[in-house]
Amino acid sequence: MGIAALLVLLSAMDATAQTSSMWDGVYTDAQATRGAAGFTGHCASCHGANLGGTGEAPALAGPQFLSDFDGLTVGDLFDRIRTTMPQNDPGSLARDQIADILAFLLKANGLPAGPKELDRRSEYLKAIGFSAANPHP
Amino acid sequence: MKLRLFSSAALAVLIGICPGAAQSPNVNWTSYTGDITGSRYKPLDQINAANFSRLEVAWRFKTDNIGNRPEYKLEGTPLEVDGVVYATAGSRRAVIALDAVTGELLWVHGEKEGARGAAAPRQLSGRGPAYWSDGKEARILFVTPGYQLIALDARTGQRIAAFGNNGAVDLKADSDQTIKPNLTSGEIGWQSAPTVVGDKVLVGSAFREGFTPTTADNNKGSARAYDVRTGRKIWEFHTIPRKGEPGYDTWLNGSAEHTGNTGVWTEMTADPQAGLVYLPVESPTSDFYGGTRPGNNLYGNSLVAVDINTGKVRWFYQFIHHEIWDYDMSSPPLLMDITVDGKPVKAVASPSKMGFLYVFDRITGKPVWPIAEKKVPKGDVPGEWYAPTQPIPSKPAPYARTGVSESDLIDFTPDLHQKAQALAKNYKIGPIYTPPVVSKAGGPLATLGLGPANGGTNWPGGSFNPQNHTVYTYACNSCLLAMGLVPPPAGMSDLPYVIGQAGQQVVMINAAGADQGADAPLVKRAPAPARAGGGGGRLTVDGLPLIKPPYGTISAINLDTGLIEWQVAHGETPDYVRNHAALKGMALPRTGQTGFNIGTLLTKDLVVAGDADVTTTPEHPRGAMLRAYDQKTGKEVGSVLMPAGQSGSPMTYMVNGKQYIIVAVSGGNYSGEYICYTLPNE
Repeated sequence: MGIAALLVLLSAMDATAQTSSMWDGVYTDAQATRGAAGFTGHCASCHGANLGGTGEAPALAGPQFLSDFDGLTVGDLFDRIRTTMPQNDPGSLARDQIADILAFLLKANGLPAGPKELDRRSEYLKAIGFSAANPHP
Repeated sequence: MKLRLFSSAALAVLIGICPGAAQSPNVNWTSYTGDITGSRYKPLDQINAANFSRLEVAWRFKTDNIGNRPEYKLEGTPLEVDGVVYATAGSRRAVIALDAVTGELLWVHGEKEGARGAAAPRQLSGRGPAYWSDGKEARILFVTPGYQLIALDARTGQRIAAFGNNGAVDLKADSDQTIKPNLTSGEIGWQSAPTVVGDKVLVGSAFREGFTPTTADNNKGSARAYDVRTGRKIWEFHTIPRKGEPGYDTWLNGSAEHTGNTGVWTEMTADPQAGLVYLPVESPTSDFYGGTRPGNNLYGNSLVAVDINTGKVRWFYQFIHHEIWDYDMSSPPLLMDITVDGKPVKAVASPSKMGFLYVFDRITGKPVWPIAEKKVPKGDVPGEWYAPTQPIPSKPAPYARTGVSESDLIDFTPDLHQKAQALAKNYKIGPIYTPPVVSKAGGPLATLGLGPANGGTNWPGGSFNPQNHTVYTYACNSCLLAMGLVPPPAGMSDLPYVIGQAGQQVVMINAAGADQGADAPLVKRAPAPARAGGGGGRLTVDGLPLIKPPYGTISAINLDTGLIEWQVAHGETPDYVRNHAALKGMALPRTGQTGFNIGTLLTKDLVVAGDADVTTTPEHPRGAMLRAYDQKTGKEVGSVLMPAGQSGSPMTYMVNGKQYIIVAVSGGNYSGEYICYTLPNE
């Protein structure tokens, strides 16, 4: 591949970055329901059954959580979970499980469900912008 | 490297032969809080109000590879001595030595502790090491996650063979108690920085999170002094008195025998002239239910001044009798010389999660301003024992919210306030020391507290300027905690109650430091049973905090007068507040942020502290600001962008006439990093 072609490809990839928002209905209700069970089994012991955080483990629902990842992508959050969570057993969750749990987190944060499941591939999730505020209210 | 070390040694000699020089080219930060008085103060002013915003990154040190996984909770404050920075770092909690000017790694020393490290109650990088030197030899001391005190040669990072057992003291084995059930898995550890006083090094103790303890019959906390040369234990102070020791009778039904915790988990400070060490002692087991330990429970939640040579109590003051709120004693005691009503007072001041600053004569223990025992509400949790009164300082006034009332609820708009009132109706609210309740599905779900567990002022503690006799401290002003008690499910705990909420699955609550250090297995792949439950009960109103701003503050409290001189909201208004649909068009003053990890640094004229959380505003891209305030007025005089929130308290030093500021950042998707700022070379 020539340098020019590479540049075109890179800029095309760049153009696809964050083509949608997490406010656009990027998971399904069924997926979030599966994710709720996964959350209770793998996450709630630190982050609290109500996602409110416990002790020093941060809340995964609500303002501070949304602020933490504001301006990043759903893929960034996915990879944070994939590489470090659960902190006492990182690497133990399959990508599908993580996608389900992430769908549950989105739902718990008041984000709308949609017709399509959240993808299990970080690269695809990096096209979904994470923003604390709804970009098209 | 040899050349550099030679030149810094030569510089040390140079400083040594011209004491009292007005402008020393090196100003060192030799202890976690800058010195052993807790000040976090250095009278440097090369970085000042006029140029703070021009700070640049001198170097960065990413801690990801100090351990087998990245860490997102870097809490350390480095030390700096004559051109070398020493810090604890990474999921391994290794000590790193860095060139203070360039950030180059000089050495790293970590301890692989296997099963003992994996079982440690307080893992991850910890808050920092300690430095000792007699002018000929220099040592770095730190406590590993597995609770060993290690002494290293400051030049090489190698263990000092003559110290303890080949450079290590096993703090579990060398304890006055027999650690249960064994030295490998027995619960006790420490994540804080030791304090070096003369030829002694002080170490404390900490345990797992106390929300859902497995047993009331836990190991006991203590504080100890070791000989920094030999590793020999000089004394050990029993925070829970043994039979025959004073205070034993404050544990009714012989509960001193079985009760545990009551550690000294934050840093200690010392006054060598007075021969006193100040121990901030935390709560006994458990943090929210004390029915298994009736009585006032000395020395739980006390500031204890002990003789530096013997560890014997010279005076003590119990801040909370029979603690059931997880207030602990969070802050290194601040040892200040002040002038009250024209009389000099050698004082000790303790910031707290409670939002009170407790001030005493540090020699006698007499409160500088009266602290009256006041009646507090009695609870109705079956089996609980309630103290009828608690000490309430008359001065200074509280510098953070101390209870929850309707007037603390969000009131940006009448609609939001009404929704907040409706949400709060499910909970018990009241003034400070309103006790936890048994959680009921029909309400109350819990008692709401502002300060329990989180603060107010948490582990970063406060700071003070010895020149103007003023304490500067951060406080979370909106860290809301729901204190509901539920019976534990079978097999979780032998206590009758743990923290939980009626109608929800009760789950074991761990500190963010548990089971995540580099010795913890990386992939167990054990199938975890999926359980029903989760959801509901969050304390927000339309996504906004239930509590109104300011969410977090920095206060300046003059200790000659006992008056709060100024208080500012600290931290950019969070994006979710600034951009909230219901608040469109409203002119909001800066709200500050709901964090509890913020410590302050004092230079000659500035208070320096970073935002806890990242924001994106028209003025700056995604990031968190490191801010400087004028000590006299609280006015912000400058700021510089950090890639993530401040997670460890900043420090400053000067090498070869140039001033630097280091701050630890991490959080969200940003793993731990020490960032060193300095002014441009122009």
